[in-house]
Amino acid sequence: MRTSQSVSQWQPVNMAGVVFRRWAQAISKGNGSGISGLSSGVRAASGTSKDMMPGPYPKTPEERAAAAKKYNMRVEDYEPLPDNGEGFGDYPKLPDRSQQERDPWYKWDHPDLRRNWGEPMHWDFDMYIRNRVDTSPTVVPWATMCKQLFGFLGFMLIMFCLGEKYQAYQAVGPKQYPYNNLYLERGGDPNKEPEEVKNYEI
Amino acid sequence: MATKQPFNARLQEFTFVSRSARHQTNMADYKEAPLASRPITLDANEYYNLSPDKRRAEAERAALRANLKRQYLTQLNNPHRKELIEDPALTRWVYARTNPYPHFRPTFKTSLMGILSGIVPLFSLYFIFKLDRRRKERMIQDGTLDRTLGLSS
Repeated sequence: MRTSQSVSQWQPVNMAGVVFRRWAQAISKGNGSGISGLSSGVRAASGTSKDMMPGPYPKTPEERAAAAKKYNMRVEDYEPLPDNGEGFGDYPKLPDRSQQERDPWYKWDHPDLRRNWGEPMHWDFDMYIRNRVDTSPTVVPWATMCKQLFGFLGFMLIMFCLGEKYQAYQAVGPKQYPYNNLYLERGGDPNKEPEEVKNYEI
Repeated sequence: MATKQPFNARLQEFTFVSRSARHQTNMADYKEAPLASRPITLDANEYYNLSPDKRRAEAERAALRANLKRQYLTQLNNPHRKELIEDPALTRWVYARTNPYPHFRPTFKTSLMGILSGIVPLFSLYFIFKLDRRRKERMIQDGTLDRTLGLSS
């Protein structure tokens, strides 16, 4: 069993005991594949040493090969991000494709992220998760979508601006009341004769 | 369609046909965009690029994937495992994203980004707010500002 020291650091551990236990288990494994599996270069369980971490931009072919091996990629596939001072180092340049594009029916190790364990992650992985940016093929061409959306929005904007400038409503006049403009209701003297108000014309 | 018709009627037929043909969208005309990739079924590379080199490359990639899968499943199905399976690819990604500073270099582009996001908003927002408030104060002093109470504005 390979205990990962970096994960269990917060537990009080008898260092000598752990080392002895690991050595004893490695010896007792017996079969050759176990020992050779431990000693092969592609082991990934204890990856906290300095050479397993990202480093500076690779300049020589040997550095490129070492970086490709570090990131579990083929040397031909490995292409570092451009060295333009933005701080990428030797991190690989992977295709800009979202996780939503990946096969939904394959048994991924992490199904919600559609990713396998140990697979090199895109620099913008957190942008390309399925809740966020999606680069899947569209049913309608991009240009058509842009034209339709911005055409509609532009048209509505122009029409609303024009409507604000040249307002056109139904003509209204002041409200007319009967009973001599509601003379009594408005507190007029009942004994006095109100002046005649005629709101019509025949 | 083949009846005898006057010339302008036949011309109308012809334009109608060309109009409907123009409205069709063929799959062969699919255009990629930065945020719309090409579907695999329309990718000629998948059908025609079957050279032994490509097959060998695919086999190597599959071997790498299978190796990682083996390591993961060995740890996953280990009944004595008590702790989390740490993913070195994830660790590397986190490390790369949080430590770009050793590889940073001031170039034209990076300096421009720094200025645009740091210096420009600082000074421009200061001046915008200051000038706007000065204008408003002047209007209040002159009495030209409409200060009627309105709860919805």
